[in-house]
Amino acid sequence: MRILDPTNEQKTAGVQLAARLPSLEGLTVGIITNAKEGTKGYFTHLERLLRQEMGVADVVWREKSNYSAPCDAHIVREITNWHAVFAGVGD
Amino acid sequence: MQLNVKTALASRAHEVDDFAAAQEFFHSRGWTDGLPVVPPTEAAVEACLEWAGMPPDQLIGIEPVRAQPITAEKLAINAVMAGCLPMHFPVVATAWQAMLKDEFLLHGVTSSTGGCAVLVIINGPVRLEIGASGTFNVLGNSDRATAVIGRAIRLGLINILDVRPGQIDRATLGHPGKYSYCFAEDEEDMTWQPLHLQRGMPEGTSGVTVFASLAPRQIMNEWTTDPKEILETFAAEMRANQLHYSIYGGNYVIVIPKQLRDHIQAAGWTKTDIAEFLFERARVKRGEWANVGKGSVVRDRAEKVHPALLSPDDLLVVAAGGPAGGFGAVIPPWMGSKTRAVTAAIGVCVDCEPPKG
Repeated sequence: MRILDPTNEQKTAGVQLAARLPSLEGLTVGIITNAKEGTKGYFTHLERLLRQEMGVADVVWREKSNYSAPCDAHIVREITNWHAVFAGVGD
Repeated sequence: MQLNVKTALASRAHEVDDFAAAQEFFHSRGWTDGLPVVPPTEAAVEACLEWAGMPPDQLIGIEPVRAQPITAEKLAINAVMAGCLPMHFPVVATAWQAMLKDEFLLHGVTSSTGGCAVLVIINGPVRLEIGASGTFNVLGNSDRATAVIGRAIRLGLINILDVRPGQIDRATLGHPGKYSYCFAEDEEDMTWQPLHLQRGMPEGTSGVTVFASLAPRQIMNEWTTDPKEILETFAAEMRANQLHYSIYGGNYVIVIPKQLRDHIQAAGWTKTDIAEFLFERARVKRGEWANVGKGSVVRDRAEKVHPALLSPDDLLVVAAGGPAGGFGAVIPPWMGSKTRAVTAAIGVCVDCEPPKG
């Protein structure tokens, strides 16, 4: 019996990870939150760790307008101004 | 419509010994919903495509977040696996066209912890052609057509978009509609306008409405003939959903069975009248959250009013259910207005560009 593959065989190309930063000392880090209730405490704690323990100079917060949809285009464009970014889901 | 579609199928083929081997082959790869599947042979898949007049490589749409192309061939394979006959396939393909509209937010509704399913509501002459029943046990195993069409949607999500539990599908609970969630409106036994026409599809067409939604919440009121009193029970259930699940407004489906709609229709109420009544009655104050254990998020907005429907047009009223029993259902949205119900006509392209030249 010959049966056909039901999966999507036309996978889009994967993404290539950016080069890892040797240190966050003195750098600007972005945080993109989905604006859910649980994100505030989580990312506030993360910012404290970034600043106090890793020497990050500046932390920029941005909120997605819809926590279930892709990040807004204007925020994506802003990412080029930062050295690193956290794009996390908080619930 | 049957066309001769002879473009070759592009999917990889696998050789298995027999029906039982096919089951194990598919289950071992995570290509099922846990139930047995119909082996998708080339002949069965081609029959679906021919019935719909679709070449295998016809692009039904592109999943907008992960840029995954959805072709007619892959949908047909999954439809065969679900048990679809060729005559069921146009409904499946149309449902996918609707699901791929931006406002449906397909990635969000299939990946959310909220655990909704894709409800498919069938309207128009196609219901009678395929035997989709809108009467007894309508939200359960009412008939073959709705069972396999609903299942085809889920198998397509699993296999084409990797919506498997723990992978893309992050649902905490999910609900039984994730196996199959499809029913037809009982158009022969109502005076109202069918759902798809009310939502703008052309007269004479068949339509498919998709709605990312939670499980049905059943209500009962057999002790009045007053439309307002009947609808107050629906309103109370909508308010309960707002408080217990999500307070935010969006589309809701209500299913009104014959015993209840006979009273409502006899009083001269239309679907629009029902929607306007429930728009006013199904709303809560944020402060009511405190009564159900959610006081911590009321804050200084206790008096803020949240309507379940952002406008009367948000309500999808569907006549369906067995002939006896004062039972109805409220089917809430996945999450407020983040997803929108989408209706499409089968075989009709209402937003295509006209041919050039």
